[in-house]
Amino acid sequence: MAAPLRLKATSASPGVATGPAYIAEPLAAAASPPSNLSGHAELGNAIKTAIRELQNLAAGPDLEGMDIIEFQIEVLQDPTLTEMAGARIDAGENVAFAWAGTLDGYIRELECSEEERLRARAVDILDIKNRVLSVLTGTSLDDFPAGSIYVGRDMEPSRFLAHDWSAGGGIALYAGSAVGHVALLARSRSVPMVVGVGQFTTEGRQHIEVDGDSGVVVLQTARENATPAQFGHPATSTAPIADNGSLHTADGEQVLLSINVNAPGEVDSIPAATTAGIGLMRSEFAVTSLSDAANEEKQFAIYRRLLDWADGRTVTVRMLDIGGDKPLAGLTGASSLRGVRLLLARPEIARVQARALLRAGIFSNLRVLLPMVTFPSEIDDLRQIYREEASELTRRGVPHGIPPIGMMVEVPAAALMLDRFESADFFSFGTNDLTQYLFASAREDAGFAPHQGRTVPAVLRLLSQAVKLAGGKPVSICGDMASDPSRTADLLAAGIRHFSVAAARLPAIRSAIVGLNADGTKAAGE
Amino acid sequence: MSGGLRIGSREAEQVHASCQTEVEVKHGVGLHARPSVTFTRLAKSFPCSIEVAVNGSDIWLNGKSIIKIMGARIRKGSVIRIRADGILAEEAIRALKDLVERNFDEEKKHGRTA
Repeated sequence: MAAPLRLKATSASPGVATGPAYIAEPLAAAASPPSNLSGHAELGNAIKTAIRELQNLAAGPDLEGMDIIEFQIEVLQDPTLTEMAGARIDAGENVAFAWAGTLDGYIRELECSEEERLRARAVDILDIKNRVLSVLTGTSLDDFPAGSIYVGRDMEPSRFLAHDWSAGGGIALYAGSAVGHVALLARSRSVPMVVGVGQFTTEGRQHIEVDGDSGVVVLQTARENATPAQFGHPATSTAPIADNGSLHTADGEQVLLSINVNAPGEVDSIPAATTAGIGLMRSEFAVTSLSDAANEEKQFAIYRRLLDWADGRTVTVRMLDIGGDKPLAGLTGASSLRGVRLLLARPEIARVQARALLRAGIFSNLRVLLPMVTFPSEIDDLRQIYREEASELTRRGVPHGIPPIGMMVEVPAAALMLDRFESADFFSFGTNDLTQYLFASAREDAGFAPHQGRTVPAVLRLLSQAVKLAGGKPVSICGDMASDPSRTADLLAAGIRHFSVAAARLPAIRSAIVGLNADGTKAAGE
Repeated sequence: MSGGLRIGSREAEQVHASCQTEVEVKHGVGLHARPSVTFTRLAKSFPCSIEVAVNGSDIWLNGKSIIKIMGARIRKGSVIRIRADGILAEEAIRALKDLVERNFDEEKKHGRTA
């Protein structure tokens, strides 16, 4: 057996703990309730609720914890913050964004402070920012299983306080501070903790060890799928095929098979090794309210969770495709716009998501997909947002990376002009919208549906032209057509070599591909 | 807990005033989170406006704002000016000055210095 992997860290609280890893989870999504309160009243009520929640936490016997909660309550009651958020609301900003923007400004100020004591307070402000956003969204901070090792970039003090540590467990933070509030709490409760481990990947529930005495994290077992040797298990015919989504047509051409994902929990039951990763993550199904859209941490947690699952395989996150027939709870005033047009019209939404994706971009396997692109300039404009947010993160010293940025090909004009989209790093065909816009049909037009077979030839002709215009850049298909085994031959013939399909369709599409030649003809003997 | 407004009948005759004082911080680590909370909570218990300026600066900070007070880098040896304007200004100044001189009640609360 290979020696356990030891990661150097900084000790923040002594002791040794072993347990299943808990990778910091996103908050449970919930629709925000309709509200006809004024923004000021809505924020005021949310702050009051947050204070009540904190007071309930403070009822515990923990003196250090009391101090921290008293501090957080005092910040929630700070007249300066209320004024700044109020001014943003008066200027027309949505409540959630007004609050998040105000607190983000203060968090940045603290992070840039020369004094570590002040820098260490940033996570308290992040904590109350998220607490109020949770109230605005109607969700609450999730607890994690007793006895587990909390793994995350940082930890909110209230999460520590709400957790039952009597069953043991520990904390390993990628970043964090040994003089921060959580470290202080951990020492007072004798919870082993290390900080500054740096980014590391581990699967949820895998046993890891936190050694707060010598400042190391031990990943005890080398994961099987971390090694490329997958030839050793030939007799597992009932198990899903762990081919990493890389298969071959009957005449030996490589085809990739990825999955489409809506909510992050969907991947839990799917072994990553049966896929080439996530070809399409529809972020609008995980970010379901304007408050979520303002919540950078929550989004970051969702993307991180998918990247952890994929374990090095590609994860393609499509930025919020909202507007039109996909409304976002709480969003008003721009409903006629959709996709990238809406993102550019409401850059405050795009910027939060860009920051979360940039932070997740420290994983080189992340890719970002822009929805409903019509013109090359839209990609340039969005790229500019990524560049600006990236330099801001650099200034703050937050680790990040600019992921490859590709586009959905679902507007017929874009498909026709694909060679002009020089700034797109890759292309993904969305055949549902492409068909709809190509045939002047409304999606809700039920009368048109029975005749959809008739649309196929024109869509295929457009696709095969577009594949040629893609100029060798990566091309994939993620629409419903990709999940339909009766279309696989046509799509192969059109030149498609990467299919992203609903997870349930993996076996059907896999067997369709291996029974066909690369030109879509049936293999001999079939 | 921050109490209600301290308008007692005793002080009724000196309702509106402007007042200022100067005091040196002797506390070991200055105004970090806990003493700042103590300070702003006390400030908030008075109805008058309360402002603080540090080390001769002419920038006056809202004395009821934890983020302003904590961000002001007040530490051992800092001289802070406190001014109050409005109802119970005089009493507010006296109470806040006393608090600074008592080292923000840190020892009393925790039996040790932070």
